Amino acid sequence: MSRESNIKVLLVDDEQTLLEYLSKRLLKEGFMVKATFSGEEAVEAASDANFDVAVVDLKMPGIDGVETQRRLKQVQPLLQCIVLTGHGSIESALESGQQDAFKYLLKPIDYENLVETIKEAYQKKVELQNAKFREQVEEIYRAGMGARGIKKAIDELRKIYGIE
Amino acid sequence: MNYERSTESNDSLRHQLRKLSQELSGNKIELRHTSRYLQCILQNSNDLIFATDVDGILVSFSKGGERVLGYPGDEVTGSSVKVLASNSDAFESLLAESREKGGATRLEFPFRHRDGRIIYCDVSLITLTNTEGENVGSVGVCRDITLWKRLQEDLIRIDRLAEIGRIASGIAHEINNPLAVVNEISGWGGTVVADAKGLSDEDRRELEKAFKNISEQTRRCRAITHQLLGFVRDSAPSMSSLDIHELIRETLNLLQPELKFMALDISLNLTEDPITVRSDAKMLEQVLVNLMTNAVHAVTEGRPDKGRIEVTTMRVGHEIRIVISDNGKGIPEEDQGKVFELFYSTKPPGKGTGLGLPICQNILKKLGGEITLESRPGAGTAFTVRLPVS
Repeated sequence: MSRESNIKVLLVDDEQTLLEYLSKRLLKEGFMVKATFSGEEAVEAASDANFDVAVVDLKMPGIDGVETQRRLKQVQPLLQCIVLTGHGSIESALESGQQDAFKYLLKPIDYENLVETIKEAYQKKVELQNAKFREQVEEIYRAGMGARGIKKAIDELRKIYGIE
Repeated sequence: MNYERSTESNDSLRHQLRKLSQELSGNKIELRHTSRYLQCILQNSNDLIFATDVDGILVSFSKGGERVLGYPGDEVTGSSVKVLASNSDAFESLLAESREKGGATRLEFPFRHRDGRIIYCDVSLITLTNTEGENVGSVGVCRDITLWKRLQEDLIRIDRLAEIGRIASGIAHEINNPLAVVNEISGWGGTVVADAKGLSDEDRRELEKAFKNISEQTRRCRAITHQLLGFVRDSAPSMSSLDIHELIRETLNLLQPELKFMALDISLNLTEDPITVRSDAKMLEQVLVNLMTNAVHAVTEGRPDKGRIEVTTMRVGHEIRIVISDNGKGIPEEDQGKVFELFYSTKPPGKGTGLGLPICQNILKKLGGEITLESRPGAGTAFTVRLPVS
């Protein structure tokens, strides 16, 4: 099984036909994919399940890509967002950069490029996760090995790795 | 009594005569002043000031007229004023109209310079009448407004370009979304075909080729919309100090993968000293890429011999010049003005978008420079980029 099978991708775009085919391709590639058609729907999905990478369209009715990204990060701080932008919206794209977008890609996206970028974003998430893990382990050592300390730490770790 | 009276009236007559002749010489002096004053205006005004008799024959042609239209006064006085106009019949009827109306008429009219150029003038025509109220001729004061006119036309052109740009970018945005969908569908189709069972090899090849072609064509569309949106996007240049020669070499390296299979010679003819300017490297690179791409197209277009492209740099006063010249088939004179127009292209479909040169022009405007071309059909084309030296 390829490594992509571990990557959970959240797609957010109001263009339904686009997502239909994009998810099919990504699924075929081995990613785990959830397609949502609005920012609101995406945030809801993110509070139900954990994702590694979100691919967010900048221009959507309702809450836009920047706001969606902000709310997703509130729910899942380690989630990496790839923002899709039209050519004229570089300014908003930069603004979303300030909201810690992993990268922004010009629409229409180049599929191979998107796959590569998702993998890179996943790498970054794993690194952040591991750093956080080390931090937590050190915390456990510092706090001593009391049963309550360990339970608390394990809860933290569950949260970091998104294990329900 | 009578005698006395007559002596008295003699005296008074003599007195009156003296008074009159004094008045007369005063008037003479005044007249001389006025005439000198008018002469001074006629000699020094930059405007063309002419006078005609009632038949439209020039009786006076000012020094300014020589500056505006290139004729010395003595060459045209005595001939009809309508020879100065670009359309003599129109001018003649204009004169007649103004005579009929009397007083002053003001309008815009194209004249023709001695060398053939059209000179636009703001014209005031005044009908001259004598004391009996008879028409004795006309006076015209004509100001050269050719430059102003050209400026006005440029402004309209720029305005129109901006408007086209706005509309085009709106369309490009709208096209982008369905384009993205088509792109994904064709990608998916390709994947399905690759995995499909029960397809004959021939059918599989056909379908794979079809999906590959769809993807390629959407890529082509995307290149156009991106280029177009890049043209419209009004980003300010980010200036830094850069070495022009280095930039030229980098650009050639960038194009190397495309160039190496082509039968052409590219020679660099750069000044010995490096040239450094403050400018936007990315924008200049785009200009060079566009010009080089055009040159390559020009010299590889259906010819048996090797094409030649030369890149020359030079310093001229306070500017630097980059000249990119090719020995392609050149641009016909009537088309030379069009090459900077949006969507004008002579390349075969799929090769040119008609955006390259307008983009170059736009960029150079932002950088305080200029782009011009010189072309001789059959001999080749040279584009010159001028940039201010920091």
